[in-house]
Amino acid sequence: MTLFVAGLSHKNTPVELRERLAVEEDKLREALRDIQATGVVREVVILSTCNRVEVYGVTDVAGEARSVAFRHLCRQRGVDPGSIEPLLYTHVEDAAVRHAFRVASSLDSMMVGEPQILGQVKDAFALAQSCEAVGPALHGLFTQAFNVAKKVRTETEVARHAVSVSFAAVELARKIFTTLDGKAVLLLGAGKMSELAARHLVEQGAYPIYVVNRTWARAQELARALSGTAVPFDELGAALASVDIAITSTGAPEPLITRDAVGRALHGRGARPLFFIDIAVPRDVEAAVNTLDGVYRYDIDDLKQVVDANLRERAREAQRAEALVEREVAKFQARLGDVEVIPTIVSLRERLEEIRLGEVKKTLARLPDATPETRAAIEAVSSAIVSKILHTPVTKLRESSRAGAPRSWLELVHELFGLGRRA
Amino acid sequence: MHGLLLNLAVIGYICATGLALAHLVQRQELIHRLASLATLAGWACHTLALVVHAVELGRPPLGTLGEAVSVAAWVVVLIEMIAERQTGVRVLGAFVLPVVLILSVKANATPAASLEPALGKTWIWVHIALALIGIAAFVLNFAGAVMYLLQERQLKARRPGAFYYRLPPLETLDRLTYRALALGFPFLTVGLLLGAVSARTAWGSLFAFDPLALFSFVAWAIYAGTLAGRAAGGWRGRRAAYFAVLGFAALVLTLGVGLFLPGRHAS
Repeated sequence: MTLFVAGLSHKNTPVELRERLAVEEDKLREALRDIQATGVVREVVILSTCNRVEVYGVTDVAGEARSVAFRHLCRQRGVDPGSIEPLLYTHVEDAAVRHAFRVASSLDSMMVGEPQILGQVKDAFALAQSCEAVGPALHGLFTQAFNVAKKVRTETEVARHAVSVSFAAVELARKIFTTLDGKAVLLLGAGKMSELAARHLVEQGAYPIYVVNRTWARAQELARALSGTAVPFDELGAALASVDIAITSTGAPEPLITRDAVGRALHGRGARPLFFIDIAVPRDVEAAVNTLDGVYRYDIDDLKQVVDANLRERAREAQRAEALVEREVAKFQARLGDVEVIPTIVSLRERLEEIRLGEVKKTLARLPDATPETRAAIEAVSSAIVSKILHTPVTKLRESSRAGAPRSWLELVHELFGLGRRA
Repeated sequence: MHGLLLNLAVIGYICATGLALAHLVQRQELIHRLASLATLAGWACHTLALVVHAVELGRPPLGTLGEAVSVAAWVVVLIEMIAERQTGVRVLGAFVLPVVLILSVKANATPAASLEPALGKTWIWVHIALALIGIAAFVLNFAGAVMYLLQERQLKARRPGAFYYRLPPLETLDRLTYRALALGFPFLTVGLLLGAVSARTAWGSLFAFDPLALFSFVAWAIYAGTLAGRAAGGWRGRRAAYFAVLGFAALVLTLGVGLFLPGRHAS
């Protein structure tokens, strides 16, 4: 009985081939049933996304299971099996466990840490369950993979830092302000990216939104779309004094917001920080604005720098996540193995303890004058002998199960100690 | 007995400091929980040590500067635990506990000396206790300011580094700094006033030419200025943080003077 995963992914397979193999749900049901009907695999889950097509299964003949599964998928999708054969990878046993954990944790994704994959794995598992293709082995594997994915998300920051410019801007705002709730936003100029950033801010509770545009009609239109207020262009200075975050993206050839203007705006606003997100090229906010106390000005290049730093941070966190996955694989394997050998270890202990108690009782019956010390010594010495004898067999059993072949050992132990037939 | 407990407390604080720094680097939930646990354990031992010591002495354990520093460390840990809970700044320990460690080691290393006759009066104890609570709050004020300056520098430089990812938002840090200042200032003020009044009755002069008293007045003036600046508006953020560091430097100098220069507090 071997756990295996076989498949292809974005790592080595071009998108043309992946999209031809990707399976939709009703076809997937059919495939699950057909693959199981061959009798080669006992349990099977098919994960089919735009970045990977993978078959997870339990089989007695791993090599055959893979060709059966993919021959079927290829036939269904009209793909020549010969064309994908060299692209397929297969992992068995702990390598398969590791692969499942890494995929669910988004460590094998094209964009490491992207959140969709976990949902896709969950869907694939649920579908296989509804087709009754899941048995105890895959059930154990996938539920643990979901746990590991959750652990990776909470214990590392692999999925935490923004990898798009507009989200990076929101994240920066959250490093300046404790909360974006009730923070006033000024939107100067219209542009897709600035509107997107404004929407992200609104989602985080930013309010109210002021929209300034040279074209009054455009300002009103955008204000309606964001449930904000349109402000006439010549009231820009006054608006600056009252907002916390300003997003600019006009097509103006010269900076519209100068250091002097911001300096004046600061007078009326106490010491509240002011955050400029300047997405325009050429830039709308003078670079020198950043030198003012409590004012932070990020242009498009700065935001890209932040995104780059975030990507590096994600990569660092991914290394920690890999180590975490490695530990979880070891734990999973150990538990899997122990589950098989534990009943034998328990009955072996019980058998020896039974013998020990019987002999101690007999000996003490022959020693009616024994002092409490003597009785205690007999108890102690017999217990010590039993645990010394048990030590090596128990260790061997555990080791054999971790090595993946406990069968012969279990039978040997049962025979040697007369433990009776195993269930 | 009290010595053993005090050593246990220091061991607890050493573990807590190490774990808090590890949490700052690794950002692992488990490490943070262990750090909190070690802090609490150290503080519990510290509490017991102080109680036992007070019973042994038959007076509050505030008679020598060494004892007072130990109590100050105790108050700092207490405020740190509460502040971390209230503000949600989980990296606070990494910035406060090293100071606690220095304080408690220093306190243990300072030999107990005989008491001045003036220490017999009840309100001298009140003077010391209030000043200590004030100082403890300013340790937090200082830690918050250091974190603020680190984070502010990263944000101004527009190149996120290690601290950008690890430290809380500027506003949170500014509020923490301000609250610590607002908490510490009244205690320090009343504490110093009582000290001055008792100095006048004991030695006939407000400062009695005591270096510690003079330096603590300098620190008080810095904090008073910061508070006034904040209240008048426009004095938050970086400037307030710089002054918090300055004020703390004056306090450290005050304690240093008390420990090393001869004067009425030195005993």
